[in-house]
Amino acid sequence: MKNYLLIIACLCFVMSSQLRAQSRSVSGTVTSEQERTPVPGVNVVLKGTVTGTVTDLDGRFQLSVPESGGTLVFSFLGFVTEEVFIGTQSVINMVMTADIRQLSEVVVVGYGEQNRRDLTGSVASVKGDDINKLPVASMDAALQGRAAGVLVTTPSGTPGAGINIQVRGLTSLSASSQPLFVIDGVPMIQEDLSGLFSGGQATNSLADINPADIASIEILKDASATAIYGSRGANGVVLITTKRGQTGKAKIDFNAYYGMQDVTKRIDMMNSGDFLRLMDEAAAQDNRFLGRNYPDNYVSDIWGFDPDDPDLQNTRWYNEIFRPAPIQSYDLSVSGGSDVARYFASGSYFKQDGVQPGTGFERLSGRINLDAKVNNWIDVGTSMMLSRTVQDRTINDNSLYGVVINTLAGDPLMPVYEADGSYADPFDYFGWWMLDNPLLIANEYQRFTNTTRGLATAFAELKLAKGLTFKSTASIDYTQLDDEAYTPSISREAGNRNVKGFGVYGNTQDFTWLAENFVTYSTKFGERHSLNAVAGTSFQQSTRNFVSINAEEFPNDEFLKLAVAANVTSASTSATQWGIASYFARVNYGFDDKYLFTFTARADGSSRFGADRRYGFFPSGSFAWRLGDEVFLRDIDVLSDAKLRVSYGVTGNQDGIGNFASRGLFSATAAYRQQPAFVPSQLPNPLLTWESTEQFNIGLDVGFANDRITFTADYFVSNTKDLLLNRLVRGLSGFKVLTDNIGSVENRGLELAANAVILTGDFRWSTSANISWIRNTVKKLEVDEQVLSDSHILAEGHPIGTFFLIDQEGVDPETGNIRWVDLNEDGAINSGDRRIVGNALPDFFGGFNNSFSYKGFDMTVFFQFTVGNTIFNHSRASYENLGWSRIGTGFPLPDGNNWTGAENRWREPGDVTDIPRASLENVNWREYSSRWLEDGSFLRLKNINLGYTFPNALVERMGLQSLRVYLQGQNLLTFTKYTGLDPEVNQNARDPRVAGSDFGTHPQLKSVSLGFNIGL
Amino acid sequence: MKKILSLILMIAAVSSCDILEPEPFTALDANNAVVSGASAQTVLRGAYAAMQHPDYYGIEYICNNDLIADNAIYQGFFDSQLELDQMAVPFANLWVNNAWFRIYRVISIANLLIAQVPDLEDPNLSDTARNRILGQAYAIRALAHFDLLRYFGEHYDAGSSFGIPLVTEPILGEIPDITRASVADTYSLIMGDIQEAESKLQGFNDVGAMNYWALISLRSRVNLYRKNYTAAFNDANTVIGSGRFSLVGDLVGVLYSTSTSAETIFDLEFNDQDQSSFNVFLIRRDEYNVDSRLLAAFEPGDRRRELFDFLRNANRCFKYPDGTGADNAKIFRLAELLLIRSEAAAMAQQDPNAGLDDLNLIRQRAGLAPLTGFSTMDEFVAALLQERRIELSYEGHRFFDLVRFNKIQEVLGINENFRRILPIPRDELQVSDVLVQNPGYETL
Repeated sequence: MKNYLLIIACLCFVMSSQLRAQSRSVSGTVTSEQERTPVPGVNVVLKGTVTGTVTDLDGRFQLSVPESGGTLVFSFLGFVTEEVFIGTQSVINMVMTADIRQLSEVVVVGYGEQNRRDLTGSVASVKGDDINKLPVASMDAALQGRAAGVLVTTPSGTPGAGINIQVRGLTSLSASSQPLFVIDGVPMIQEDLSGLFSGGQATNSLADINPADIASIEILKDASATAIYGSRGANGVVLITTKRGQTGKAKIDFNAYYGMQDVTKRIDMMNSGDFLRLMDEAAAQDNRFLGRNYPDNYVSDIWGFDPDDPDLQNTRWYNEIFRPAPIQSYDLSVSGGSDVARYFASGSYFKQDGVQPGTGFERLSGRINLDAKVNNWIDVGTSMMLSRTVQDRTINDNSLYGVVINTLAGDPLMPVYEADGSYADPFDYFGWWMLDNPLLIANEYQRFTNTTRGLATAFAELKLAKGLTFKSTASIDYTQLDDEAYTPSISREAGNRNVKGFGVYGNTQDFTWLAENFVTYSTKFGERHSLNAVAGTSFQQSTRNFVSINAEEFPNDEFLKLAVAANVTSASTSATQWGIASYFARVNYGFDDKYLFTFTARADGSSRFGADRRYGFFPSGSFAWRLGDEVFLRDIDVLSDAKLRVSYGVTGNQDGIGNFASRGLFSATAAYRQQPAFVPSQLPNPLLTWESTEQFNIGLDVGFANDRITFTADYFVSNTKDLLLNRLVRGLSGFKVLTDNIGSVENRGLELAANAVILTGDFRWSTSANISWIRNTVKKLEVDEQVLSDSHILAEGHPIGTFFLIDQEGVDPETGNIRWVDLNEDGAINSGDRRIVGNALPDFFGGFNNSFSYKGFDMTVFFQFTVGNTIFNHSRASYENLGWSRIGTGFPLPDGNNWTGAENRWREPGDVTDIPRASLENVNWREYSSRWLEDGSFLRLKNINLGYTFPNALVERMGLQSLRVYLQGQNLLTFTKYTGLDPEVNQNARDPRVAGSDFGTHPQLKSVSLGFNIGL
Repeated sequence: MKKILSLILMIAAVSSCDILEPEPFTALDANNAVVSGASAQTVLRGAYAAMQHPDYYGIEYICNNDLIADNAIYQGFFDSQLELDQMAVPFANLWVNNAWFRIYRVISIANLLIAQVPDLEDPNLSDTARNRILGQAYAIRALAHFDLLRYFGEHYDAGSSFGIPLVTEPILGEIPDITRASVADTYSLIMGDIQEAESKLQGFNDVGAMNYWALISLRSRVNLYRKNYTAAFNDANTVIGSGRFSLVGDLVGVLYSTSTSAETIFDLEFNDQDQSSFNVFLIRRDEYNVDSRLLAAFEPGDRRRELFDFLRNANRCFKYPDGTGADNAKIFRLAELLLIRSEAAAMAQQDPNAGLDDLNLIRQRAGLAPLTGFSTMDEFVAALLQERRIELSYEGHRFFDLVRFNKIQEVLGINENFRRILPIPRDELQVSDVLVQNPGYETL
């Protein structure tokens, strides 16, 4: 779009000769409101005359007007036309605002672009401006709440960790319901390639991309839009377009921000005195209800403390493991070009220090995008990116040696360090839960994942005949990832293994190539027919090599490299490969610009499937009716646009299964007595084929008041069948499961999105909002009611991520005990009493954004919300132990401290509370029970940004083109009933079937940062 | 223009065959697994590797037995072990569901060898080598079926119809739905396989594999379970009398080290790159902490008590002391055979003192005074169970022993007699039309 603008600007600049019939001169500069940059090529016309000019490359104009003045009209494609009464002014500076007639924007679709007014499918667009400057590591985090139907969840606050995106619900039961990410036409390798165990969180390969390089993101949602990606479109497609050079003067932008982050919340734990009092009360309650015979102050006396001693050690563990830490980003880009060549080059540095010691994320990246005109019928270009990321990691989530998990019930009587400066050992204190000092784990363990990523595309576009072009692209996506970890000799983990430290080195190298060739034909015939057709091929192959080395016995804990280790315990290399061969075509046909049809088909062959079932065919069709252009609606003034869209199609998925899933295999990786062994590793399934999703979509786009208000509604039903899933097989085969096509899942949803410009003029206020209701239901399974874990089940008629727990009906006011539900009425409460008690998916979610500007000031306030999901607060089972000592009654040793919420525990008959009585014995504690279920709904002030753009005159005196400074807050406010660290949490980020548990997960972060954007 | 068109055609014609036929780099097609003597050996090692799984001899098959009984207690994280400790095992129990197919996987490897090795054409494969592969395959198949029967079938009742499904053919395509054999039929398959292996393993003495003596020991153990005391006695006598094995004096330094010892008949071997899980679960974790009742059962001066210590708030067993996970699983060792011979002698002759000498050999090795004699069979049985408990603790015998002597109520307080065995796994029942649950577990 901008390209066109600038070309026009240049042409106009050349032709800028004009009549000078009058004597008075008016001059000024035109800038854009959004980018604060000069706008060249703007038509400036004296209203009611032919007198006019266009702005030059710096946005300046000069025009002779009559002495009497008049009215100037500023108009330019893509901007709202403005009129200014000249009066006696001789300088008129105009700030032009982008035309919010979104329906006229150009939208990137697979293998081409389309005008939004011609779209027949459902496509959401997010502008680069909205995400470029957010204080987040990756652009997927920036998408949160921005587009209807797109649920972005951040499973943890771990810097650089993976993020889950669901476009229109969970379609797949196997590992992946993530959409396909395509950057400048290249389907990216987007998996977690790290082999380092760090708990439930994945690394994020999208964080290799610098968000500031992104010009726009399109999210293809319905089958009409995604079918061009055929087998890989079932989960939606996210198209990322990076910035490219524009013809015109060089544009240099420097953006920077620096801020401080902290966790959104810490658990408020009891102090040492209250903890001791709780323990003593537990003994007293046991005397009363269990007939025990403990003396007064039983526990505090055994432990040797006085609860009222003011000098008690009182360690605040959550304050020890979380402390404010900086986040910073610096980004420099240069772009420009001539008629024959255009360039965009950028370099950036991003660094996020960990709020929890031992974590952090750092990225250095560079990009060069080039476009050149070889002659009048050949264009060539490249997009090249190279980045280096370093993720500093600790173990977290449900892991023995996680930092947060060991902190959960930290004993306040235990110091972090002993008097001699060494780390205190939890086994010298009074918490059973803590296995090792969390600060030792955070500070002394070393775990790094270093990634070097190169993404390069070269293309040539040939204009073969009028309307006929051929485009050929060759691309490489190369990742070189190193994992390095060292477990220090002073850790309990190394001590238990009786080794002086142990280390691991892992390397994953992924080389993916892509070759695509397609022709595009575009024509109009007759008076009212328009046709656009695309057909092509795509081949992609990925080869992945792995190295893994383990070693132990290090001279001291300063080293990380394995060369210093005395004993290499194992070393191995491995590899895997897959490929896809694809053929695709799309036809857009428009009649009278009002009746628009799109037909798309793609055939994909995958190396993962059985030879006879290898190819899948994925067609779609859609129709749009531009109602607003019909005679009967055209005269309704308030209605400026209306379009009805209907689509239906089939897309596929092959992710989440092994590269050789269809074959019967003997693994050669086993050994017995250090000699190789073949072990059957997989049953054959020659019939294995694509998972496919049929989706029906009906949508309506309307605009009112010259599109000051626009509204989009979509309703969809999608059915995924032949799910790629492990099917239970008879164990007497020696296997439990076989990868097969079984079962189906349905997603139904309603998405609403609205944009409105509420106020214009000096004080501008625009707003946008989206909300989505999505119902996910497992329709059919090979075997119903599959218990997936201690907390989850997969059952027909219920959504993916359903909790299956022992249930309870609150605390009995008379006894202080939980009333457990004895479902099978066998007199005992155990796993036989589990039932379905909720699910991890929200009822609805969305976001709303308000932008205000007044003169140079601007402010955006962005809220995001998720409502109706349930969280299994497994962490609370640890810090709401109420004194239970799981090693028996010989010595009171609870899991550890309790949170202050446990002050609301039952104490006397008649107390009405939902927290049972304290006890040294296990009366009320059941780990996998609904006692720990909580409402996970939240409303969050995701981002607030207050900026000031300095006036041009001042900026020019400073020798700059533009200058904006801003103060930005991320996640500043969260409204929720959830009692855990943060409601946005998922301990098992890799598997949606067991989503929604919080167990030692690094919480989300909030930040305040100060930044500036300079145009040079 | 023509050039360009031909270029386009050329690019479009890039054969997609190559990219759709990648080679698995670290695996081979099942059909190509057994093609030579060498590959058959490699597959045979795969059977041992499959036995090493933590669900089987890597730890759980062994230690869960002590957990169900009164040797070990659960103080850890896994509900699966909690259910076993309390002997309230639902048919959805995680270990029950996993051990089932893990043991059948061992059988499937044995079946592949039994089916394919006899017809293998390989000039480099000697008759002896071929026989040893086949002999081990039969022996492993017998061992695995017996191990399944001990937990999942009514092994103590020769007339019971609740044996286990017998799998004797390799499963390559469709998985058959196999009904449960009777206990008698299960035993006859086991005995048939042992007989098949006996001649083939003559002269094969490798204590890291199912060797000839391990095979005879297996038959002795099976016959003991079947109360065929004379047969059990004879086989135990053969093994003990072979003179190949002797009791080790140094318990901590030799018997419970990472190596095999003079006492070893068959150890499933592990090393630091191929680790067992005993050390992790017994010492680093709290899944199999020591039951105070076991410690109370030690007589003063018993040197075997040195294998237990208090560490990190719990009594722990140090029979698997190696931090690198190189501890072997002791499948058969001489001490068990002595105890079998003791029991078989006394039971066969109904003479409480017929097995006294063997019992005392074990006691004296542990530094205890010899017993002088018993006046009743009950006294002998009490002493035998005591000695088996102390000697073979954490080696996977205690619960089976209490079942064999019908003492689970008396000793463990398990009132429901059907809990002498575990339920058939839920997963297996869900996919079978012919399998029936063990009586008593149907409604749980």
